[in-house]
Formats: sequence, structure tokens, C-alpha cells
Amino acid sequence: MVRIKVVLSALTLCVALVGYLPLQPYLDPLARWFFPASILLGFYLQKTERTLPARVLTPLSILLFIYFASGFSMDTILTVTADLMVVFLGIRMLGERSGRNYLQVFALSLFCLAASSLYNLSALFLVYLLLLLLLLAVSLVVLTFHAHDSEIALGKKELKKVLSVSGLMPVASLPILLLLFVLLPRTQYPLWNYMNKGAPQSTGFSETVNPGGSSSQTAVKSIVLRVISSKVPEQSLYWRGIVLNGFRDNAWVRLPAPQEQIVRVEPGMSVHQEIYPEPSQTPFVLALNIPRSISGLAHNQSGDAVFTSRRPMVKRSKYQAQSTLSEAILIKGEVDRDFYLQLPRTVSERLRAKGRELGRPGLSAQQKLQLAEQFLRDQKLSYATVGLPVGPDPIDEFLFVKKRGNCEFFASSLATTLRLAGVPARLVGGYRGGTYNEMGGYYLVTEDMAHVWVEAFVEGRGWVSIDPSAWSAGFVRNRGAAQQLRMYVDALGFYWNKAVITYDLEKQISLVRSAGGKAQSFRFPEHFLRSLLAIALLLAALAAVVALYLRRPRSAEGRVLKLFLRAVRKRYPAQFRERCGLFELAESIGDPHLKEFAGIYGGAVYRDQQLQPGELLRLKEIIQLLGKHQS
Amino acid sequence: MATTLLFGVAAVNTGNNLLFLIVSAMLGFMAVSGILGYLNIRGLSVSVHLPDELYAGMKTLVSVRIENKKRFLPSFLITAAVSGSPTSFILLDPGKPQIGSLLLGFEERGLHGVQPALISSPFPVNFFVRFTKVPISGSFPVFPAPRATAGQFQGGKPDAGQVNASSAMGHEGDLAKISDYRGGEPLKQIHWRLSAKHEEFKVKEMTATSDEPVVLELDLIPGRSLDDRLSYCTYLVNRLVKSGRPVGLKLGDRVIAPASTRLHRLKMLGELAVYGKN
Repeated sequence: MVRIKVVLSALTLCVALVGYLPLQPYLDPLARWFFPASILLGFYLQKTERTLPARVLTPLSILLFIYFASGFSMDTILTVTADLMVVFLGIRMLGERSGRNYLQVFALSLFCLAASSLYNLSALFLVYLLLLLLLLAVSLVVLTFHAHDSEIALGKKELKKVLSVSGLMPVASLPILLLLFVLLPRTQYPLWNYMNKGAPQSTGFSETVNPGGSSSQTAVKSIVLRVISSKVPEQSLYWRGIVLNGFRDNAWVRLPAPQEQIVRVEPGMSVHQEIYPEPSQTPFVLALNIPRSISGLAHNQSGDAVFTSRRPMVKRSKYQAQSTLSEAILIKGEVDRDFYLQLPRTVSERLRAKGRELGRPGLSAQQKLQLAEQFLRDQKLSYATVGLPVGPDPIDEFLFVKKRGNCEFFASSLATTLRLAGVPARLVGGYRGGTYNEMGGYYLVTEDMAHVWVEAFVEGRGWVSIDPSAWSAGFVRNRGAAQQLRMYVDALGFYWNKAVITYDLEKQISLVRSAGGKAQSFRFPEHFLRSLLAIALLLAALAAVVALYLRRPRSAEGRVLKLFLRAVRKRYPAQFRERCGLFELAESIGDPHLKEFAGIYGGAVYRDQQLQPGELLRLKEIIQLLGKHQS
Repeated sequence: MATTLLFGVAAVNTGNNLLFLIVSAMLGFMAVSGILGYLNIRGLSVSVHLPDELYAGMKTLVSVRIENKKRFLPSFLITAAVSGSPTSFILLDPGKPQIGSLLLGFEERGLHGVQPALISSPFPVNFFVRFTKVPISGSFPVFPAPRATAGQFQGGKPDAGQVNASSAMGHEGDLAKISDYRGGEPLKQIHWRLSAKHEEFKVKEMTATSDEPVVLELDLIPGRSLDDRLSYCTYLVNRLVKSGRPVGLKLGDRVIAPASTRLHRLKMLGELAVYGKN
């Protein structure tokens, strides 16, 4: 026998844990440690069949409330509420174990899980939700038994039945969950938008490029965006985000650009992309180089093919982009040479001399470009992310001393060299590369793919893209062995975002429209009705067989009696009476066969015994005889 | 329910799809628990086994047999109330009937029909208690409440030293045998230890003595009202038959010939139960 009290306590502990775990990383340290401590204390108290009295718990609750509420403001509303909920959940685990308190634990756990959805939108939430749903269903049922009699104890078999039937409830509610999720009305503009933090504070590429800022670059594998598109050549995978066109001291920054008008881009492959960016604070909208248009997002476009979102993309969203995979942007008229030839504060004498050498009169911009490339190649530079040059003039150090650096060094060096030689140049920031998820049909771009390249202005062609990092030795991206598994896991997360997180009013309307459209234009295909009829008949036959099987008496005795009564009804329709005892029936009709049947059947069944095989055979013979009489 | 509403408001106002998932899950759970609660109290058949002798104004132990006729689903935490008296069952497996007992009392003599049994259960979630009525077929007579009377027939008790042992049972003799509880025996006669072993009530039967036949004429029995006379008459019938004396009845013009069997006694009590009720 298992005491229901014990089962309920164990379940409640699990429920509270599932409420606490998803919220745990975002809690104040006090709340984070208070909960496990109170769980342990609660467990000890339960083992010793004790509880803390209300005169201890109530003042403790009030003190903790005052402590957390003192940090309350509109910005911290979520944090404070989450901390308080977890703390109260902990306190509830210490108090008296009554039905009301159990219900409070269940409700608080659900609230904690809900609060976690305002911090984190990962697919792990679904796991927690389903787990909590299962635990809550079982706990509520067990609580009902507890309310019936708190000292009740069930046998192991009985307990198993109770648990399995209650466990069936969440399983059965899954289809309803899915249907309701799709149907529940969404609003266009949520009122409490400030609650949806959801996103980390800043991800995305840097908006300044300052080579030499640190001696190493950490490669973070966090996801930047996912892009559904056709597969494009590896060498064309440049995701354009920002153009850095001026300097603040020695750092490349984006200054208000002179007005330019794009006339056209060089012909190339046109690619349509559906882009799902991870939430970030940056307003720059990424797309394959060179983006031609963006839709599905309120945005501004500037003359250097940079798109900015009008609202920060802190929520999960998606947009469409149309890009042309080409190398040059032709603009109308001349560029503002003064603007694009400005230099950083520190330029070494060696570099200035090199610039003068490349910028000698009589050379075209195209020739200067080739010379600059030759210069960088001759320096035998290697690509590295650690041991980077630092110091007062890192570019000089990179080009002439250490000869190793990352893309920022390569791009800054080339752009500065070109500017020294009189060729307008700028940096383009974004990402290089992407892992194509064959299963999902999308590109995955991660933070470690952040990249900077150069655009130089060549008369007649416009702004030409050049990636000087490609001239280095060792510029390859290694692919891990766990890549395949990572792709599977990522595909799951991607579909979670696509199907659940970004589901909104717009999708709801389009779903209704497409359903309506399909219903209107619905035509039966040829032979459809005939095959439908055939399937329906088959199903009906199957249902009839199942129904007959289910309705037949469960025992051999029951079946033989049913057959016998049917035969008697046919043989003696006038004398047959419903609801009449077997012996009485045999007596009233007077047929010796009937009497024999009643004797054998009654002899066994009415003495609570089973019919012997021989008896059963004889009874069947009698039924057959009755049938023969009839014919 | 309030929690679901709160989540619903929060979901709509934040546009957070995960909150919508929680709301959908809770609504789905509510719907399924409603269906399960509905199924839990369906497909139950109730029958009541009444003792042969029921007297007006006397509490009697009644056994209630309840069977789960559903094919797969067990029923949990079922309370079956018959005429307002409840009895509970924790778990009813399909096809395995269970028997509970309850104390029933009827104020009025006469032919009573059994009220439908009120089946209720808080399963699966203790927020609501669901009810349904299950009809119970049959009717049964409730005999008039026996009331002791002082009279010449009181002498069931034999003179000293002249006890005639009889096959009929009494209250004061030796323990003659143990038999099933029929409802009319005083509770003190119930053999509790044996009852617990057999799952049905057993009573101790004592020996009594026998005497000459007698016909009771209802109109001549003293009493202020018909019910009073019926009560005295019932007492006398029981008293005399149990002491082994053949008893007959004269109800108006009808005469029931004297006999001393138990069946005969029940027949007479049945007549007394419905006398004047038609």
C-alpha cells in the first residue's frame, strides 16, 4: 500500500522544480539560492513529519517581499515579480500541507514557467510545458484523492491505474492545445510590449572596427540569423550589414554618408531570401551582398545599400530580401572624394610612403587596386584570431612587423592604403559564409562568421567589393565533426521559431484566407467520389466488425446463451418471452432440447462454474438442432 | 479558471506565443478533464439489496451493489447516495462489481419505490463535483413500526419449567443458529465478528417457545388511530410468530388463515403495510 500523502508530496516537489528551473538563470542570487535551500529543508521537514508554523513563515514572506519590492521599478517589474514568485514557491514548500497550499504551489509553478517565457523563447520551453502539464494533471488527480481522505492508501495496482488514467489527460489534450494555439486571437500590437525582453541585450556585428583593440578575438558560436534561400556559391556568401565610411580617432565608424544614388548593380544571380534574425539591438538589416530590396519590415535605405530597421529587432521577426550576387554597385555621378579619402589619426610613415608610391599620377583606380593587392600579398600576411598586433599603431605593426591579423586588420590596411593612394574606399561589415542546413533548406549564420571587407570606388564600375582576407595564408574555416548533429539540433530550433514564436495575427489571417480560398476553389478530382465511397464503405464495414466484436458477450457461456436465445426466438416466436428465466422458458415451451440446455447450462453457470468443453459442445449441438427444426 | 483567464489576458497583451501555448494547454486540459469527469460517472449500474423486513421509522442496513459497465475505463471516487444516504467507492474496475452498505430509514409505512441513486464524484480535479442519477428498479413494502402492547398474547414467555423448544426463533432462549440479516432483527443481535468475515450481516438467532393458533382482528386491537393499531398488530404478529404460535389476520372482511412460517409472517406484515393505502 502506498500512502497518497507521500505520492502527492513527491509530485509537488517535482512540479515546483519544473517551475523553478526555466527561471533559474534569470533570478536574483538570493531567490536563486533560497529556493533550493527551502526545497531541501521542506524535504527534511516532510521526512520528520513536521512543518514550519505560519507565525514563522508569514513574517519571513513579508520580509522577503519588502526586500525584493524595494528594487521595484518599471524596468525591473519582471525581475522583481519572478524573484518574488520563486521565493513564495520556496516558502510554500515549508508550510502546512493542505489542499489549498498544494494548489498554490501548482499555480505558482505555472506562473514561474510563464514568466520564463518573457526571458527566453527557446524550444526547451515546450519540454518544460509538457512536463509540467503531465505533472500537474497527475498531481491534481492525486490531490482529489487526498481531499477525499488525506490518510487514504492505495494498493500498487490501484495507484498505477490512477496514475495512468490521469497521465492520459495531458496526452489527450495535446490536439486541443495545437488547435487552440492556432485559433486563439492575436492582436496586431501587443499592449505590454515592455514585458517582452526575450532578447539578449546586444548581439550582432560591431558597429565600429578598431584593429588593435585587443590581442585576441573570441569566436562565439551563437546564432545570428537563419535564411531560407536556394543554395548559392560558397564564394558569394557575404552578408552585408553596415558600411563604415569615416573615422573616430583610429577607429572606423559609420558617419552620415554623402547622398548617393544607386543606378544599378553589376549583373549577377538574383536570390530571394526569407530571413529569421535572432533578436538583437542593432538596427542594421542583414542580407546577401548586394541587397536590392527588403520587405516585411519597416526600414530605411541609404545610398550605400545599407538597410536599417525603424524599430530595433528585439523581438523574433522575419523579413524577405532580394539580392543580386555581384561585385560592384554603380552609382549616379561622382563620389564625394574628400569624404572618402579621410584618414585615421595615426598613419605610419612607412604606410604613407607606400600610399604615395601607389598613388603616383598616371595610374587608374583599377591599376592602383592591383598594386595594393600585390603589396599586401608581398607582405606574406597570415590570418589569425589570437596574438593580434596591439599598440599605438597596430596597422603598421600588422603590415610590417607581426604580419598576422584578422579580417579587421586586412580590411583596415587595404582601405587605408587605397585612401592614401587616392582611391575612395570604405569598409563593409557583416558576415562571411554560412552553413547550409540540407534538412531545413536554410543557411545558418553564426557570430564567429562576422567579417569585414572593403569596397573601393573604381570609375566606370562603381563601388567594387574586395575581400583582402582572402589573400592571406590560413584563411579557411574548419568544420567540426559534430557539424551534422549541430545541424539537426539547429533545425529543431529553427522550426520552433518559425512555427511557434513568430506566429502572429498576419499568419493567422493568411491561414484563414488560404483555408477559405482552398474551400472555395475546391473541386473533387476525377474518380474521387467513387474512391471516397469505397473507402467509406470499407470503414463502415470495419466499424461494424469492431462494434460487433465489442458488443459480443465476453465469456463463452454468455455467447452460447445469446445464440441459444436467438435460436429459441426463431423456433418458437409465439411462446418466447423476454426477461424470463431459462428453466421457466424451457418449462413453458416444453421442448426436451430446451430442458436439456437449461439443465447443462444452469448446472454449471448458476453454480458459478465454467462450462466444460464437452458441455459446451453439447449446448452448441442443441442450438444447431433447434435451427434444423426450424428449417 | 481565473488563472487561465489571467494567462489569456497576458498572452493577448504581450503577444507572447509561449503564453498562448500555456493558455491553450490549460484550456485543453480543462476540456479533457471535463470529458473524463463526465465519463467517470457514466456507465455505472446500481442495485440495492434490501432486507426482507423494513419497518417505518427504523434504520436498516442496506447493501448497494455498484458495477462499472464501461469496457476499459475505471471509475474513481464514486459516491452513491440512495434516498440521501451515501456510500463511497475509491475505485471501480470495469466488470468488477463492489458492494457498499448504508443505513436507510423510512418514515411512512406502505409500498415504496426506490429513488434513483445519485452518483457523484469529484474526479478528476476537485474543482467541481459531478452528479448523475441512476434509476434503480423495483418497489418494496415498508411495514408499520412495531410498537409493544400489553395484552393477553404477551405470554410468549412460558411458565417456569415448561419451556417448549420450538423451531421458531425468539430473543431470549439459547443461541440456536447464525443466519443472514433480514432487516428486522435488533442491531444488538448482529454478530459483528462473523459479519466482518462474510461481507454480509449475520445475526444470532435464539430459541423461543410455541403456543396455540390465534387470529388477530385489526379492528379489535386497541389504539387511537389506524396507524397505532397497525403498529400494535405488527408487534403482535412478530412476537407471536417468533414465539412459535400460528397467527392469522382479520383485516375488515378478509381473513388470513393462521400459520407460523416466516413467509406467512412476511405476507401478513405486507398486508398490514399497505392496509388502507389503496
